[in-house]
Amino acid sequence: MEHATQQPGTALSPLVVAWLALVALTLFSLVLGQWFHGAAWLQILFAAIVWIKGHLIARRFIESDLAHPFIRNVLRGFIAFTPIALVLTAFYGHQFARWATL
Amino acid sequence: MTAIAISAPETQQESSGQGHIPGNKGIWVGICCEFVEFLVLFVVYFVARAHFPESFEQGAERLSRLSGTAITLLMVTSSFFVACSVTTMRAGQRRRSLYWLIAGLVVALGYPVAKYFEIQWNLAQGINGESGIFFTVYYYLTFNHLVHAVWGILGILWVLARHLAGGYTAEDYSGLEALACYWHATDIIWLIIFPLFYVLV
Repeated sequence: MEHATQQPGTALSPLVVAWLALVALTLFSLVLGQWFHGAAWLQILFAAIVWIKGHLIARRFIESDLAHPFIRNVLRGFIAFTPIALVLTAFYGHQFARWATL
Repeated sequence: MTAIAISAPETQQESSGQGHIPGNKGIWVGICCEFVEFLVLFVVYFVARAHFPESFEQGAERLSRLSGTAITLLMVTSSFFVACSVTTMRAGQRRRSLYWLIAGLVVALGYPVAKYFEIQWNLAQGINGESGIFFTVYYYLTFNHLVHAVWGILGILWVLARHLAGGYTAEDYSGLEALACYWHATDIIWLIIFPLFYVLV
């Protein structure tokens, strides 16, 4: 049985939008870092920004939605690792340090 | 009667019903290895940061945020140009694809240049690999990324030479797409490194 497969795009506009979003998020994170220096909640926001940027590259540039599930999952896992680690160390940093002491 | 099974040639779109492999399988083995390597380094970063939060807070203040931002914008823009090269090749616009790839290479070359100036700036501020735990982790992670980026730049040069020789068509551009995947993966890694050292305090 034939499956209808999604075709990779040939339009540049989604790439332009993704690139503009990546540049805007980069500049936005710099401004946030300057204004709210040291705020605990900033870690969560930065974690979200890192995830969104990674997700944008995976979806728009690599076209992970059309890729084999293994590739899609590898990208999802790698992109999610640091944001999760950022949030966990922001709230449980001391416990993590104790746990990671030899 | 003998039944002869002939395996279908691997096409751009591996229509197994499970999605295609962007580029080729080999590049994804390499990208997975790259991801594992950097995951280990990120674990080292988080362990060090959990043990020495003050060193990480003070260390980030001393780095050149301008260099970090410049490298981020160069990586993102180069990645975008390479993605445009793949898309235009797919649309059968060979010459445009070539121009996008050259633009991607030129912007990518800005990364080692920016890194050189950053290191000069660091040394002028007395920052080297022995300036404390933060800077040890920073140098180890960012140099490692630079090495991967240099491989990527060499890859772009190789793909560019093949492209100039007419090695890619709208039907078969897997080499170009493989290079693009590697470059995008290296870009993702930098986008994670950037806030860890230059922004987050």
